[in-house]
Amino acid sequence: MPNTTLRFENLRRRFGRLSVLEGVSGEVAPGQALLVTGPNGSGKSTLLRCLAGLLSPEKGTIEYREDEKVLETEERRRRVGYVAPDLALYSELTVAENLEFFARIRRTGPERGFEVLDRLGLPTDRMAGALSSGMRQRLRWAWALLHRPQVLLLDEPFQNLDAGGEQGTRALLLEHLDRGGLAVVANPSNLEIDRVAGHLDLGR
Amino acid sequence: MLQVTSTSAAETALPLRFTWLSEVVAVFVKDWRCEFRTRYALNTLALFAFTTMVVVSISLGPIGIDRARGTKVLPVLLWVILLFSVAAGLPRAFVQEEESQTATALRLSATPSALFCGKLLYCLTLVGALELLVTPVFVTLMNLEVVSPALLAGTLAAGGYGLAVGSTLVAAIIAQARTKGTLFSVLAFPVLLPLLLLVVELTFNAVAGGGGGVALSQLLLYDASVTVAGLMLFPVVWNP
Repeated sequence: MPNTTLRFENLRRRFGRLSVLEGVSGEVAPGQALLVTGPNGSGKSTLLRCLAGLLSPEKGTIEYREDEKVLETEERRRRVGYVAPDLALYSELTVAENLEFFARIRRTGPERGFEVLDRLGLPTDRMAGALSSGMRQRLRWAWALLHRPQVLLLDEPFQNLDAGGEQGTRALLLEHLDRGGLAVVANPSNLEIDRVAGHLDLGR
Repeated sequence: MLQVTSTSAAETALPLRFTWLSEVVAVFVKDWRCEFRTRYALNTLALFAFTTMVVVSISLGPIGIDRARGTKVLPVLLWVILLFSVAAGLPRAFVQEEESQTATALRLSATPSALFCGKLLYCLTLVGALELLVTPVFVTLMNLEVVSPALLAGTLAAGGYGLAVGSTLVAAIIAQARTKGTLFSVLAFPVLLPLLLLVVELTFNAVAGGGGGVALSQLLLYDASVTVAGLMLFPVVWNP
């Protein structure tokens, strides 16, 4: 896996008059995770959407470097695996059809996604629209890891998961970090995660 | 040396399933698979087209309108039926992605130009199916005599493409807006008005016996221009 680093500085994002992010900075190195905490509305999801390239910050810089080369926005999107509560896959398709579709448009095979689903114990023949919230979270993880991303952006990654699901996804996160990937994990409360190199509290 | 050359060629030649075209096909197949399972656009288009055709037939049927008036009025009515049927169903191509929150996964996965072309291909087949359904029924119900069937077929093909590409572009622009319905009408008007003027003129010529002339070239130019504009604009309107 190439060495990817992430650095963001002095980010500002407002929605109308409401200032959600103001002067937020951080840095994550390969093999490390940054934990972002704060109460509801403190800007955790907005920060992750900015880092994923789904929102543009009004001020500040976001820089992904891969072996000293700065990545463009489009390249950045392709290297990101993203798990968030507001991310949905196609309810009219089965779990397997969803993974096969996204694998094709990511120009990769679906094998890694099926491997993750197998480990998390989610059947592939169920319609995505008929999944429980915990099962949908497992599918989001499989989708996020489908293309073996260097960067994982995880917004409340263990939400709705039972003990087995949380254990399985934590193991996947650690494997990702062990392989030299980096992660930004956002959660309302503190999380016990190995390999956390920094903690950004947006509630202060 | 030979081995090095062949390895290099194998590395540069991507398998078919990993090309831009395969992305386009994947989006197209996915959209039709979802459509066949929900039948939202198919039902909307078919219902609207059928209802308006019946209303027009009852009001202006073969008994109620003479040939001279029919030649002038019926081409307009045919395209009004097609336009409003399309307007009722096609904006869903992108709006559905935003409303069901699948747009985020698409933004992070798809190449914008491939996504646009996949959606365009889906809309194109939908419009083509609509035209195949509506036109023969309309011509029969209205007892419309077509002097130049080839020109009518060409107009339907090029006009249908124009409707599909114009609607796809406008649908992509409005997808993230809150007032989608109003915005579609406002934006679609200037985009689709030149197209409608051209296709009505060409359909009139097909019925009355005139040739394609300049209007056909203008229609093809319109199709090419909106396609290029769509490919250039789409990455900007699709990504934040």
